[in-house]
Formats: sequence, C-alpha cells, structure tokens
Amino acid sequence: MDALIAKADALGPRQKKRKIFHDSTADSVKKRTGVPKSLQDKDLALNVPSHKHIANKKLRTELVRNATQTARAKALLEDAEMMLAEDAGLMQAEGELERTWRVSQSEIKNGAGGDAARGRREWKLDGGPYRSRYTRNGRHLAIVGSMGHAATFDWLSGTLHAELQLQETCRDITFLHDHSHFAVAQKKYVFIYDRDGVELHCLKAHIEPTRLEFLPYHWLLASIRQGNAGYLKYQDTSTGQLLVEHRTKFGACSAMTQNLHNAVIHLGHQNGTVTLWTPNLPHPAVQLLAHLGPVASVSVDPSTGGRYMATAGRDGTVKVWDCRNWKGAVREWSARGGAAEVEWSQRGALAVASGGTVNVYTSPIIQQPMHGNTQPPLYLTHPIPHRPLTSVRFAPFQDVLTLGHAVGLSSILVPGAGEPNFDSTEADPFENRKARREKEVKALLDKIQPDMITLDPELIGSLAPEPKLSTTTTTIDGKPARGTETPFARLPRLERLRVQGKADESEVVDPDDTAPDGRKLTKEEKERKKMRGKGKSTKRYLRKQRKNVIDPRAVAIRAKMEKDREERKARAKEKAGGEPRKPSALDRFARG
Amino acid sequence: MKIQVLQHDPALHLPQRPGDPTPTSRNLNPLMHPFARARERTRALNAAKMDRMFAKPFIASLEGHVDAVEVLAKQPGSLTTVASGSWDGGVIVHHLARRSQLLHAPQAHKGKVSGVCFSREGRLFTCGVDRNIKLWSLENSHTENPQPVTVFNGKSAFNSIDHHNSDPLFASASNLVQIWDETKSLPISNLTFPTSTETITSVRFNLSEASVLASVGSDRTFTLYDIRTGKAERRVVMQMSSNSLAWSPTFPTTVLLASEDHNLYTFDIRHLDAPTQIYKGHVAAVMSCDWAPTGLEFVSGGWDRTVRIWTEGRGHSPEVYHTKRMQRVSSTLFTSDARFVVSGSDDGNVRIWKAKAAERLGVITARERAAIEYRDSLKDRWKTDAEVGRVVRSRHIPKPVYQAGKLKRTMLEAQRVKEERRRKHTRVGGEQAEGRAEEAGGCGADVGLVVLVEVWIDLPFGMGCQEERSGAGE
Repeated sequence: MDALIAKADALGPRQKKRKIFHDSTADSVKKRTGVPKSLQDKDLALNVPSHKHIANKKLRTELVRNATQTARAKALLEDAEMMLAEDAGLMQAEGELERTWRVSQSEIKNGAGGDAARGRREWKLDGGPYRSRYTRNGRHLAIVGSMGHAATFDWLSGTLHAELQLQETCRDITFLHDHSHFAVAQKKYVFIYDRDGVELHCLKAHIEPTRLEFLPYHWLLASIRQGNAGYLKYQDTSTGQLLVEHRTKFGACSAMTQNLHNAVIHLGHQNGTVTLWTPNLPHPAVQLLAHLGPVASVSVDPSTGGRYMATAGRDGTVKVWDCRNWKGAVREWSARGGAAEVEWSQRGALAVASGGTVNVYTSPIIQQPMHGNTQPPLYLTHPIPHRPLTSVRFAPFQDVLTLGHAVGLSSILVPGAGEPNFDSTEADPFENRKARREKEVKALLDKIQPDMITLDPELIGSLAPEPKLSTTTTTIDGKPARGTETPFARLPRLERLRVQGKADESEVVDPDDTAPDGRKLTKEEKERKKMRGKGKSTKRYLRKQRKNVIDPRAVAIRAKMEKDREERKARAKEKAGGEPRKPSALDRFARG
Repeated sequence: MKIQVLQHDPALHLPQRPGDPTPTSRNLNPLMHPFARARERTRALNAAKMDRMFAKPFIASLEGHVDAVEVLAKQPGSLTTVASGSWDGGVIVHHLARRSQLLHAPQAHKGKVSGVCFSREGRLFTCGVDRNIKLWSLENSHTENPQPVTVFNGKSAFNSIDHHNSDPLFASASNLVQIWDETKSLPISNLTFPTSTETITSVRFNLSEASVLASVGSDRTFTLYDIRTGKAERRVVMQMSSNSLAWSPTFPTTVLLASEDHNLYTFDIRHLDAPTQIYKGHVAAVMSCDWAPTGLEFVSGGWDRTVRIWTEGRGHSPEVYHTKRMQRVSSTLFTSDARFVVSGSDDGNVRIWKAKAAERLGVITARERAAIEYRDSLKDRWKTDAEVGRVVRSRHIPKPVYQAGKLKRTMLEAQRVKEERRRKHTRVGGEQAEGRAEEAGGCGADVGLVVLVEVWIDLPFGMGCQEERSGAGE
C-alpha cells in the first residue's frame, strides 16, 4: 500500500516541497507580454505588519492580504486626487501693499465674471430679520422672516418652490433630507411642509422651538425649546417617532448647531455654557463655560472633521475651541458691535457677522493657537447697513455667503470658501429628479441608528476594549482564592486562549511594555520601573504629548534626551576603563 | 489682486444630449463621506437580515416510495438523474428538473433496498437484503413493471454497493467486501481485514485513485483496501461506528466519515493517527454524508431530522435545513452542479433543497450579481460585529433539536470540568484519569485510534417513532 501511495502522484507524501515549474515558452513570452513598468502598480512602500506571531498560516495570509489592501487603498487615494476636475476659488495679493480685505464685493464680482457673479445678490424683503438654510448640495435655499414669511427656491436657476405667509412668529427653518421637505420653527410648534408648501405635519411635541437642526444620516430633526427648561427634542423623520427629549436645565437657548462628522448637537446657553448632546445620554457629553454672558452663536468646522468649534457671546467675544482638548480657547478676540453670528465654510473659512459688518477669516491661521485678544488676520470684510445681522450661511459647493438681516437677505462672494469637487453619491448640485429619488431610498436604507451617535465617530468598527470587570476573586497576594477558581472549560474563549498561550496580544501596544533593548517587560518589572513621585516636568510633558500627536517640540526634546543618555553612557564606559578614547586636538585644553 | 471664484461648469455635470446618462463625479476625500463606517455597517446589517429573510431552501418533495427512503445515488455526468431505494424494496430513478420518474420498480427487491449506484454508462445497480444485486437499464424503463437486465446472487444480505470509476467493476458490502465484474455472475475477489468478523456498512471507491476503496463497518472500523493487491491495507478503529463515508472529489486523500457519535470526521489517509477536522453540530447520529463536487462543502443528514451543510475545514455552525414533516434523514446527496442538495428521509419522501439557502434561482442580471457580491463581501467584512454576526449566525431550529443541543453542550462541559478537576487532584503518575483508559480496540496490527468521543444522548423527541434502526445491517 505504501509503495502504491508513493507511486500515485496524488497520494504523494505531503511534506515534500513542491517543485516550482518553469515553462520556457511562458518565460520567454513573459518579458514581452507583461504590464510595462510605468503602468504597473507603484511600488508602494506599504507599511504592512507581518503578523509573524500568528501560527495559523491561512489566518496569517488573510490578515496580511487585508492589511495590504487597506494600505494600498490608502496610498492610491492620492492618485484619485488627479481626478478632481475643478479648482477652488482664491483671492491672492500680488503686490506687497495689497490686502485681500480691501477688495470690495463689486471688484470680486467683476473679477469673477460669468455664472459666478450670480452669487452676489440682494433680496429686499419685508417681515423682519431673516434666517436662511441651504440644502446639503447647496442648490436650494430656504428663508424665513420672523414675521412669518417663508420661502424655498432653487437659487441657481431662480425657480421658486413654495412661498408661505404663515402670519405668526417664525424662528428658524431647515430642509430635511433634501429640498422636498422643510421644517419651520413657528410660534408654538414645528411644522413640516413639502416642496410645494403644503403643510404635512404639525409636531406638537416640539413646543415653542427656537432653533432646528436636521441630522441627515440619522434622519433626526432636533429642536430646542425657548423656555427656561430648554428641552432638546429629537424626532425621527423616517418613522415619525419622537425619539427622546432631554431637559437641558440651562435656561433658554438660541444657539444650536450640529457637528456634521459625528452628529453631536452643540447648544449655546443663556448662562454662557456650551453643551454637546447625543440622543443616548440624558446629560451633556461635554459641558463648557465658554462666555461670560449668553452664547449667541455656535458653529463647528467641517473642514477638519469637526475638530474646531467657534462660539460668539453677547459679551462681544468670539472664541475658537479645539474639540479634542477643552482647556481654554485656541483663539479669542472681541468682535466689534456686540453679539456676533459665526459660521464655518466647507473649506474652513470662518465668517463672523457682528454689528454692521461681516468678517471672514481663513483656515490655517484661525485654528492656530494664539495668546491675547488680537484679532486674526482678516481675509475679507463687507459692510451691511441693515442691523441686526441674524444669520450667516455658507452655500455648500459655492463661494457664496448668505446673510440674513432686518430688510431681507444679501449674499456675497467669498472666494475659496466652497469645496470645488462634490461627490455625486453624497450631494450633487446637478442631480436630476431620478437621482434625487434614488438617493432618498438609498439614504433611508443606510440610515444609522440614533444610538450609534458618539463623540468619536470612529468607534464603530474599532476593536472593543477588554472589559475591566472580572468575577474572579483573588487573595491578598494576587493568587486566586481557593474554591473560586473557574474551571478551564467554563472560562470565556479569550481567557482559554490566554491560558493555552494562543491569545494574540499584539494589538495592545503600550510603550511602557518594552524595555529599551526591545525585550518585553513582565508585569512585575513594569511595576518596578513605574515612576513614582519624582516626575520630572520634561518627562511628564513627553508622556502627555505621546498620544497620536507628532509635536516638533516633543520630538526635539526626545532627541536631546536620547543624545544626553548616549553621552552619559559613553562617559560611564570611559570611566569604567573601556576602550581608550581617541585623542583629540582639543585635548591640550583639557584640565588636569 | 488675483481673484478667482469657484464656478461649476454645467457641461461637465449635465448630460450632453437628451438621453445620455447624467455624469457623476467622485471625491474620495474622507471628509466628504461622513459616517462612512457606520453607514457601511448598516448596509452589512441589512445584507445579513435580507439573507436570512430570503433563506427559503426547500424546493420540492418527490414522492413515490411507500416506506422510508434508505439510499440515494446520483448518476455521474448528469445533473438531474438521482436514484432512490426504499425499505419497501422499491427503486425509483428521479428526474430532478422535471420532477418525474425515469424508472419506477416498486418491487425491485424483497425487503429493503440497501444500496444503489450508477455505472459510468448510466446503468443502475441496486442491492438489497434479499442477497441480490440487480442491474437495470434506463433505456426501456417506461414499462409498468420493469425487469432487471442482470441479477447477481450473493451469499448474504448486502449493505452497500459502489461502482468503479472507469472499469466494469463494482464492490458490494456484506460481511465482507466483494469485487464483482459486470460480465461475471460470481464475485472475482473477496476483500476482508484478516481478523475481522464484522458487518460492512458502507463501501466507496476512491474517485481518482480508482483501485483504492474504503469501507466502514459495525466493529467501529474504517478500512482501506486495494483491489490491485487484493488485500485490506489499513484499518482504524474509532470509538463509535461510522454510518457512511465519502471520498473528497478534489482531494483524493481526504475521506469523510459520518459517525454515530454525532460528529463527522475528515481523515487524510496518509496520516490516519488523527482526523484533520471534526465537524460538530448534529445532536444525534449522522446517518449519511456526501461531498459537493467542488470539494469545498459537504452535506450530512442525521437521526436528529436535520440536513446540515458544512464548509470543508470549518468544524462548527453548519447551515441547518429542516421541515416539519421530514423525519430521520437516512441519505443525502449533493447534486453535480453543487447548487442543490437532495435528502431522503424516513417519511418516504425525497426532498430537494438549495445548497445556498438564500440563493435566487433563475437568471441573474450583471447588476444584480454585482449587488449580491457586494452584500456577500459586506457580510464577510462585518461578521465580527456583534449584531451583524448574530444575524449571520442565527438559525431557527426545531425546539427538540435546540433543547437536545443545549443539553448536549451542558453535559459535555460538565464532563470536561469533571475531568479537569479529577486530573488536578490525581497524584502525578497515579492512576490514569478516566476516559483516557480506553483500549485501542481488538485489532492487533492496525493503527489504533483514540478519537475523543462525546456522550451519546438519547434524543427526547419522537416517542411515536420507535422503529428499529437496523438499517446499517447490524
């Protein structure tokens, strides 16, 4: 039988290494038929972990393949940028004496020419200070006056969808998922109208609303109530359910905005606090004393993934905050003319409308930390004689800023404010009816459940931390108590793998885990090495800086410390009488 | 001053002529796609739910037998021809697509038909407990009472039959394995393991090394024979007997055993000291097994009234099929296109199932195919997510099967805990822990095998079905 098995090719011994088969014909042809070097995949220096510690070959191969693919996709993103067809707007000073903020709107309008000049408009309307809101694709505009005049229209083509005289106080307006529905915060309730202005719903749960926000990926309409209790209510517009109502207990609230990247609602309150809310927490996720008076306006920067927030207070100051670190504002300055309205554009330009002017500041400077109350360098300014300025909105995918004021609305051109390249799957200003309807269905299918809203949007799909709670009891010396030991068969799977030495602990990377020579430290060693008491300030600084941030200062300090250590080591070695130091020309100056 | 204001060129974004598709533009900047991960997870969850929603695997039931269906065989080279043999002695050749009968011999054998197989030319061999092997032709089969072409007489009741892959030879199993020539009325050789006196339950030829054949028998054995040497070559004694075996169609050295201890085992016949994989899932004895022609999947039918479809190399969580009226499954088959599964059960019906429960039959457009593939990859990518994974894994199974599974798990765990505690409190070098002291079986020369065997659980269901399970010829 063994002889037979050995003879039959299929039953050949398994361990034998397979011979690599060379076909001379194929080899000769390969040179000519292969993909040319220039068209081959770039030799992407992929930093793929080798997963060497994983014994299972199949699993290892799959992990490596996945990691390679992810790294490759990331690297190829740069190539995809070539496909972006359109250029962002810009305004650049050419001479040394030129200043961009000196350029007036009429000059910009002349310089823009063509279709772009249509963005500069003035709408004279009766009925009090106006508020406005764009759809996500920037094509449609909804406006509402405080006396009850509401209208929605396609501002590019100039077609009016609906015009309503509601005959009562209206405080805010917002589009729902697209321009086919809009909600108006009226005197007593929130009303939802369709594109033609037909009243569809009266949301009686939302009483005396002051501000509205619509979270497009969760299909939630949030409103904040005027009175002292300040109820924040979430209504699911896909099911019609009132999802949750939070009693903020911070008094009346007239500033509300959403972070587009994590769907957290930011509220600015009467007592100067700014609070961050999610539907699944009964208390604010973050509470921050931002101003010494009521907060007038809040806005979150979409260009940095919601990392920066700007607030304006009745105390006349404007502050920019870093949402990762709430210890003090990044920048603050006082705006002239009292309470300001603030708004970030898609590419990170900050518009501040206060008194009788609107000022625009541009992106990297406005987010750089600065001490003192100096105003950041101005990019553009525009005076508006009609006080008060009640709303500031940038049009998505356009260089247009729309301001609401006492006698209507005016829109001005802000070159470089809008994102030039839109993505048709997300928001398309040129979509047709069929595409809009398709998108509505797709968006409903992809609706994210409201309980997934967290401060960190990357939480979903990341590795869950190991639960800290344990049911095992230990005696005083750390050994398991007698009789309470869990049998191996009843341990959870991860524990069992750990006991068998098969658990993969490579995911947890703690810099304290490894000794300087790369050896892994045991728990006891770590405990021994742990610094107690004498925390040097530089070390503490470095430790704090360690997470995810490459700070040039920290890098420099680290390099210096490393150099010092080397020198000390070398000196010690020399003292111990190791190899003699090389004679130097400077030795003649040495003492003793 | 250099001023440039953003303006979109409508020519780039609007169709050039009426009827043209609307141009789309992409921007892959992650900031343009907020909640990409969360939305993808939602999509994965929907895909998983839709998969479960459309999981309707049962296609048809083929009737015709009066008593329980015992054996099934597919014709090599045909997608639709399947023969079934029953306890009433009837043999039917079914056409799966038309759901009609190509041959119906109600009294093919006296007593149970214990084995059917096809030759390469499409002739049908059946054997029964009436000690006869009969050869049928499908050509002139449309008569009321078809007669066999040839009858081979044996000395004892046959339990299984299998045809050689290319030669006109077939093997039968009774108390020994006999090799027959189609043209000769007596067996040309007898194969038996020297010291064995067992009853052979099932015999199968290897599909590529055609002269090697394997059998399982009532002495809990799995034996390899070679017809060129005319000898039994190797034998493995398991802790419980196997009911059926199947050779892998793509890996010639891999063999699958359906065991009485609720498990299936794959062995590499070059390394018989341990199985390559144990497949745990059935809650009663596994009665039959068959590989898909791709060799990536196989199907098993069990005494617990379920049909399960396993992925090769994955020893847990198989696909489970069951219906209210299906009784003990005594035979299962994968069809030759790997898309369907056929099962024969004690209620006398042959059932056709889809191999992929949620697969849509019929023509699938390219767009739909792309959507299906996208959904599959989403499910695969997010299967580690708690909620998606739960939906992907969950199967509705009948209450008795569920309860039996639960009981089995509890008992096994208790047994393991007990074993562990006993080992812990035994002195080093002391008496062996119980359960390890199992002897290797009464076979002197062969390779002893101790496969750790789970407990046997008497299923608490089916009080009314007390029929004797003597099908394996014990």
